[in-house]
Amino acid sequence: MDWYDIWILYRHEIRSALRERTIVMNSILMPVFLYPVMLWVMSTGFLFVAGLAERSQSRVVILDPPAAHPELLDSLRAHTNIDVREGVVGSDAALELILSGELDALVEFLAPEAEGRALDDNFRVAIHYDRAVERSRRARARVESVVADYRDEWLDREAVALSIPDADRAQFRILEDNVSSGREMGALIMGMLIPMFLVLMVALGCLIPSIDCTAGERERSTWETLMTVSASRLSVVTAKYFYVATFGILAGVLNVTAMFVSLGAIVAPLLAEVGDGTRAFQFSLPLMALPVMIVAAIALALFFAAAMMILASFARTFKDGQAMVTPVYWLAMLPILLGQQTDRTLTPAIAAIPVANAAMMIRDAINGVFLWPLMAETLAVLLLMVVACLLLARTILQFEDLLLGSYDGSFWRFAKERLLKKNAGWNAAKTEIGGG
Amino acid sequence: MADARVKVEALCKSFWDESRGEVRAVDSIDFDCRQGEVFGLLGANGAGKTTTLRMLATILKPTSGRASLNGYDVLTEPESVRRSLGFYSASTALYPRLTGKETLEFFARINRYPPDLVEERVESLIERFGIAEYAGARVEKLSSGMKQKISIARTIVHDPPVLIFDEPTVGLDVMAAIEMQQVIRELRDEGKTIIFSTHIMSEAEKLCDRIAIIHQGRILALGTLEEHRQATGKHYLEDIFVHEVMAVTEVESSL
Repeated sequence: MDWYDIWILYRHEIRSALRERTIVMNSILMPVFLYPVMLWVMSTGFLFVAGLAERSQSRVVILDPPAAHPELLDSLRAHTNIDVREGVVGSDAALELILSGELDALVEFLAPEAEGRALDDNFRVAIHYDRAVERSRRARARVESVVADYRDEWLDREAVALSIPDADRAQFRILEDNVSSGREMGALIMGMLIPMFLVLMVALGCLIPSIDCTAGERERSTWETLMTVSASRLSVVTAKYFYVATFGILAGVLNVTAMFVSLGAIVAPLLAEVGDGTRAFQFSLPLMALPVMIVAAIALALFFAAAMMILASFARTFKDGQAMVTPVYWLAMLPILLGQQTDRTLTPAIAAIPVANAAMMIRDAINGVFLWPLMAETLAVLLLMVVACLLLARTILQFEDLLLGSYDGSFWRFAKERLLKKNAGWNAAKTEIGGG
Repeated sequence: MADARVKVEALCKSFWDESRGEVRAVDSIDFDCRQGEVFGLLGANGAGKTTTLRMLATILKPTSGRASLNGYDVLTEPESVRRSLGFYSASTALYPRLTGKETLEFFARINRYPPDLVEERVESLIERFGIAEYAGARVEKLSSGMKQKISIARTIVHDPPVLIFDEPTVGLDVMAAIEMQQVIRELRDEGKTIIFSTHIMSEAEKLCDRIAIIHQGRILALGTLEEHRQATGKHYLEDIFVHEVMAVTEVESSL
């Protein structure tokens, strides 16, 4: 292996790749523009839908309103988004209308249960609605809000009448207090999004280059040309490997940067608008999270590049390569799901699961949690996988027909025929990759 | 032979096929090529020409036997062999996304042409082959004739002493084929050792100083055109070829 040769070959691969539209699109443009565009579309769509919902009318039927509480009925009728329908007789008829979609909710006032009779004019309210229908759920929420507000006011009045002090009444109130800081709430969102998309983007960044530099070379008939240059086979493969990993890292880093900027510029104002306004989301990262994310992106890129190149080296055409390599991309998603459990941190067991460990390590870092021994285990596991893949690649590329692209089977067939069966004939056809 | 640039001794290549078992593509061949000589490998499709040339280019590893180029052994010094060799075939395409000039620079550097002389060498080849007009255009945008010129320049850009042309005129029109033959003659006159494989008899007749007739992985006859004529009593190379092949077929069928 010669580092001068590797540098020349690497530069050649990068230059060639930067002129290929598909690679630039997948590995650079998509990671950069996906999130700003996606988040803008989502926020615009969200505001549009919220606006429509705000203006929509909830069709409601009220049965047996309590005579002692005319103000409640007035409040429901006065609500700008509640349309109280008259003329529906009986709950059965109303329920049928809800099921047929002609009505959104039925508000049925009932006599209080035995223990509630102590309070004069007490009542119960049953709200019937169709949970499977959005506008019916919205009607339930609107009615419940009006009834709850009225109930609080009524209880206040009754308490004053019974001379119960405010302090005593306050004991029965439910008070919410969110102790999270704006940064912690921001970290919760970033912890859910960034690890998942970083892993996927690193894999996506490796996908097309891994096919382009193996199956693509064969399809363009440049593979044999490359086999005649004076650089060793090992230098050729190493340069290609670094090239694929570079695009994986590039896609990952660009993506995280774009997402970070998008969250601050698009999502934070949106959340401030729809939230309770008491605490703004802050999207900032602990300083140490950045090197952790970069190291994770490098380790993931080295792993994906090796795995994808092994599979792509069995393909003769770009199309075959896509069919062989794409499953790796989807498989990468499975371990990420483990990292989506927001109440977990890295454990020795999770640190032993490739990809999931990196996703969890990144999420911990975003939350300011740095479990150094487990992070070391994570990197060790990923690098072990990389070494295993490279050893496998070295074994596979010793077979001349595979090296020259005349083998016409898949990785699985190859493994069954030659790696597991140990056929003497196939072994005789091996050539030493390191020897040139 | 003292001045032999290429030496081949008892070279064999076997492939393993799941259904046929061991298949011997090249069966113990011997030849050598001298400086300033065009050595022809003449054979039908599947005769073993490409496999032989790929072994010499270290793309394939010989099953047994020995071969050396410019004094370097193909088994033990493959990188030095490739540095001494320019390999041209129909299956050695150019990188479509590079320009002609970038292509030449890349192959000069990767084949270890002195870095400070690369620019000068590339410019001289651009001038020699008349490709200045489109040297800055991407290869994918060029016509096949333009690509052919860049391909030849790519083959010799690192100034190798030995050149292999494996069926270089396949797929070319008449004028392009004649141009290719002219380039090969010029290179021979410059003192290059050239191994030229073809199945086109007229090409071998016109170009080759010596011709080896290869059939089913074995060399049936080797010599100058005149020596072949004297040995077979036939005048035309096509007749000589048929004579040699038929002789072997008759021997095999009588066994």
